[in-house]
This record gives sequence, structure tokens and C-alpha cells, in this order.
Amino acid sequence: VSKLERPPGSFREVARGALANERMQDVLDVATANLRQVRLGAWEKLDDVEALREQGREARTRAIKNLPGYLDEFQRNVEARGGHVHRCATDTEACDKIIDICRAVDAKLVAKSKSMASEEIGLNGALEAEGVTVVETDLGEYILQLAGEHPVHIVAPAIEKTAEDVAQLLESVDGEPVERELRALTAKARRQLREVFLTADVGVTGANFAIAETGSICIVTNEGNGRLVSSLPRVHVVILGMERLVANTQDLAVCLKLLARSATAQPLTVYTTVLTGPRRAGEEDGPEQLHVIVLDNGRSSLLGTRYEEMLNCIRCGACLNVCPIYRKAGGAAYGPVYSGPMGAVLVPLLATAPDLPHASSLCGACTQACPVKIPLHELLLELRRDLVDDRVAPWWERAAFTLWSIAWSNQLGYRATTTLARLGQPLGPLFARRWSRGRTLPRLQRRYRDR
Amino acid sequence: LKRVQLFATCLGDLAFPDAVADAATLLRDAGFEVEVPGRQICCGQPAFNAGHRAAARRVARTFARAFSRETPIVTPSGSCATMASHYLPELLGVAPFDVWELSAFLEREGVRPARLNEGLQVSYHDSCHMLRELHIRDAPRRLLEASGATVCELPRPDLCCGFGGTFSVRQPEISLAMADDKLAGTAPVLVTSDPGCLMHLRGRAETLARSRRDTPAVVHLATALARGIRA
Repeated sequence: VSKLERPPGSFREVARGALANERMQDVLDVATANLRQVRLGAWEKLDDVEALREQGREARTRAIKNLPGYLDEFQRNVEARGGHVHRCATDTEACDKIIDICRAVDAKLVAKSKSMASEEIGLNGALEAEGVTVVETDLGEYILQLAGEHPVHIVAPAIEKTAEDVAQLLESVDGEPVERELRALTAKARRQLREVFLTADVGVTGANFAIAETGSICIVTNEGNGRLVSSLPRVHVVILGMERLVANTQDLAVCLKLLARSATAQPLTVYTTVLTGPRRAGEEDGPEQLHVIVLDNGRSSLLGTRYEEMLNCIRCGACLNVCPIYRKAGGAAYGPVYSGPMGAVLVPLLATAPDLPHASSLCGACTQACPVKIPLHELLLELRRDLVDDRVAPWWERAAFTLWSIAWSNQLGYRATTTLARLGQPLGPLFARRWSRGRTLPRLQRRYRDR
Repeated sequence: LKRVQLFATCLGDLAFPDAVADAATLLRDAGFEVEVPGRQICCGQPAFNAGHRAAARRVARTFARAFSRETPIVTPSGSCATMASHYLPELLGVAPFDVWELSAFLEREGVRPARLNEGLQVSYHDSCHMLRELHIRDAPRRLLEASGATVCELPRPDLCCGFGGTFSVRQPEISLAMADDKLAGTAPVLVTSDPGCLMHLRGRAETLARSRRDTPAVVHLATALARGIRA
């Protein structure tokens, strides 16, 4: 079963827990408001935001419309540089391939930089089951690994953790107390992680983009861990979601401009790394082997459908930060990997998750924020239609809407049902408990048109 | 005499007839002959946004049958104006209608509301569809200011109030929490142009008022402009 699978009812259940947690509500409010505010500031500094968004949309659409061709071109170029490309159709296949690579070099320790695709395939669990130790080196992911939790935000995975939480988790590693202050906390994490970078046998990274024209991988980080993980260990494994392709370096430039500004309001992230092939003869640094896992896991099934545009997503997290539902429900309600509006669209497309298309008020803030202009709220509406057309929506819901629509398709039915509703008003709260717990029902009056 | 067709909307017709009457008053005072087509029922939005397209079509046809394309259609509802102008023609495969949200129409016609709200502090809550699909942000605020009120911006005017049609009953806890945030940051009076937001926010405010003083009043824009907020 896919890690993305979500049983019905789970969104509401997990969200209730988040709502009851006052501290978490404060953290979500402040963190998302800050990220939204700084992003707006970064946008204002651009000459023509709309033109850049349009360029981003075009760059992404170009890649997705010709994805099979660009994947072939990318593979040829990686192999020409001495790297290996492994195309994996499913999460299990991808994990098995990575396990094989680790076994071949008798790896004991794997260092990872942040990768949502690796969360999607459940890589850590798969490697640990094989007796391989995995350490996350992105600070947020490291914190979550210590806590035994999953990311709740695709850019800021530990956004719901406070300095106090982090201090306690870091202290649990070496037993030494640390000041509850950001600089001290980072210094401690840095000391703990340094050893991992130096001794890891295999480094696993994700990829923000892959360039077809050059066979390069682009990784953006703010901590530099991506560079250490991809250059110190003998083997570098890249998990590449197959839709991360861009045609060339010009398109990459547009996407980077949009990604950093949308994610963290930076003109560029602190480290923007473009890697091409493993270490070549005469070079001092870099891995001996480079393996690129091209992960499909359901993505190719979206090509040519009305959901194809979702593959344009650059995983910037801007939609999460503006979403009024994410702000209340928290990331875990959407599942262990992708959250917020992008998760609510993507997860039901890759796995079964009947709650998520309805985890939205369709307010459209996500669409407005998306740097590559994906109509997220319209895709959510499309997914709702699929739930009805595929009879996933419960029979009573479909029956209710059908009966309602028949009644309201003529004056007689409209008048009869609304008169009944008016007369039956005192019983209203019994029939509309989900509404009337916490809200009064409106008083139905003499119809305006009868006055 | 210039004519307009008034679309009451189902919620307006059934739950907020006074607000619809106020919209009609504003239009008449502005010199329009207000026609209320008798065959109108609903634009189909509740089913449309829940993904039930066949049901939405069945109900939306009542709108297409009731209204003429010759005369502007004005409605005191941001989301119904969005449905009728943006989505309904495509849903039914028919030619578009000339649909106007009330405040946008009043502003286009240069209507100056009476100064009934002199010295009052109000906040304005944007209907998401009206703001993001119709791009109407300033018209209701300017009309409120012109009626003498001072508009105090909400702390996060970009956030949805949590109604969202069936969302309000699918995720009632989140929906209520979103309403509470709106009500916590507003001036003593919260004005909105959407019967959906009005039903949700007023319903929540009335419940909170049972255990709290100082809960805000939630008022439809048409009422605020036609009769003044104290009325």
C-alpha cells in the first residue's frame, strides 16, 4: 500500500487534534503568516510578477508536454557523463533499487538531504529494515527523524516545532543541555551531523530540477547539507520525481527565480547546486558513482489528462502558506508526505484519498499564490466531480443532490420544499447537527418573492 | 427608465429577504426599474461546488430560463454572481449573461449612498469568489465609506470565513475555527456582500453571543447601505 493512501474520515480526525492543540494553532498561524508576508515582499521587488509567472508556466508546460522525450535526453546525457539512470515505476521498485545500490557497496550509513520523493516511497523505513542506518541532514528533517514524525510542510518540514521542542530532541542525542536559542540549537545540530557527513557510505538527495539538455541535477538548500551529501560519500543516489525535468538552463533559471522567492522569499537559496555526473578523472571531489532514480509512482498516468498541469508544480509551498484550511488543520491531516492545497490535489491523483478534494473551501488563495499558475482550486473541483462520477461519494449524498435538484428545477417543487422547510424549522437543529453545533440556523421567512 | 433584473438567490429569497429588499430599494433609489423574474430559483452553485454537475445543471437551467440577456442582472451575492457569470454558461453550454454583483453595479452607475452610517466603525469581509474571480475589492469598501462609515481592515482580509458551501458541514470544526478568527478581529460591525458568508458568520456570532458580550453584528452590505447599520 502506498504511503500516500488516506482512509476516509482521516482528514477531519487529525485536524480535530490540531484544532484542540492551542500551541500548534499559534505556531501555524505565526509561521504561515510570516512566510506569506515575506513572499509578498519578495514579489513586490520584481518588475513584472505576472510576466515571470507566465514564463514559469511556459517552462514547466514545455517540460511536461514533452516529458518522455526530455527523460530520454536526460538519461543519455547522464550516461554520457558516467552516471546511471534507473527508471522505477513504483515506490517499492525505487526502494528495492536503492537497497541494491547500498548492498553493492556494503553501505552501513546513509546520509540524506531533504527529499519529498524519498518520503513518498518510504525510503528510510525500507533501508532500516535492511539494517542500514539512515540519517536526515536537513535540519527540519533531522528534527522530525529524532521525533519519529513526518514532514508537515513541504518546504519547512518541522514548521510546527518550537525552539523548546527542538532543544529537547537534540539533547536526547548526546545528553548535553543546550540553550533555547536558534544559534545555539543550529550549532549543536551541526556538530551532531558533521560526523554523519564524514562517515556516510552513500548520500541520498532529492532533486529540485533535472536539466534534460545537460543531464544535470539541481538541488537548492539553505544549509549546504545537499552539497556535503552529494560530494563526500562514495556513492550519490538522486531520487528524481519524473516531472522535475526542465528542458534547458534558461528554463531552469526561470524556475529557480520563482522557486526561491515563492518558498522562502529569497532571490536565490543560499546554496544552488548544479551537479553533472560523478567525479571525473583528475577531479578531487565528488562521488565515485552517481545513480539517478527516476520515480514514476503514478505520475505518468496524469500525462495527457486534465490533471496534467499538476505535474508543473515546483514544490515551493506558497499554496500551503496562504491556505486558510492548512493554517487550521496542520500538515499531518493531509497525510505523511504532501500537504496543503498541492497535497490535496496531488495525493488523490497518486493514491486513494477521498477526503482531500473536500479539504478546501475553494477560496482560490492557492491558485492566486501559485508561481506557475496551476489552477489548484479548479483541480480540486474536478476531483470532486470524479468522486461523484466514480460513485466514491456516498449514495445518500448523490441521492440528496439529485432529489434536491429535481425539486428545485420547477416552481412547484421549490415552493413545496421551502414551505415544508419553513414549517419544519423547529426541528432543523436535529437534521442539521453538523451545522447547528456551534452555529444558529438562519430563520427561514416569508419568501422575498412572495412579498 | 433604465431596467435591471434582480436575482434574489435562494439564500436571499429564503433566509435573507430583507437584504434582498434592501438591494431592490438601493436600485430603485438609483433610478432603476427593478424587475424580479418570477421563475428564478437558484444558480445551482451548491451542487456545482460539491462536484454534482448533473444536479447543478438541472437547477442552473432555472436561472437560464428565468433571466433575459437584454437587461443587466444584479444580485446581492458575490458567489452567485460568480457562478452565474463565470461558470453557469459553460456548465449549460449557453451564451453568457450580463450579471453584476450589487456593489460593483452601484459603483459603475455612480450611485452615492445616503450617509446613514456617519461615524460608525465597520469591517468588511470579502467573499472569496467575489474577490478572486470577479476581482471586486474596493467597490463595497468605497460605498461603505461614502455612507459615512469608517472601514477598519480585518487583520487577514485574505482569509476565507470558512463557509465554502458543503465544506461548512464536511469539516465543521475547521469551518467554525475560521469563523472565530474572522469574528475576533473585526470592528463591532462586520459587513459582507455574500449571503453564504452572512449565514455562516451571523450563525456563529449568534451562538457566541449566548456566552459572551461584545460579539459583532454581521450585516449584509445592502442593508448597511439602504437602511443604515443601526436599523
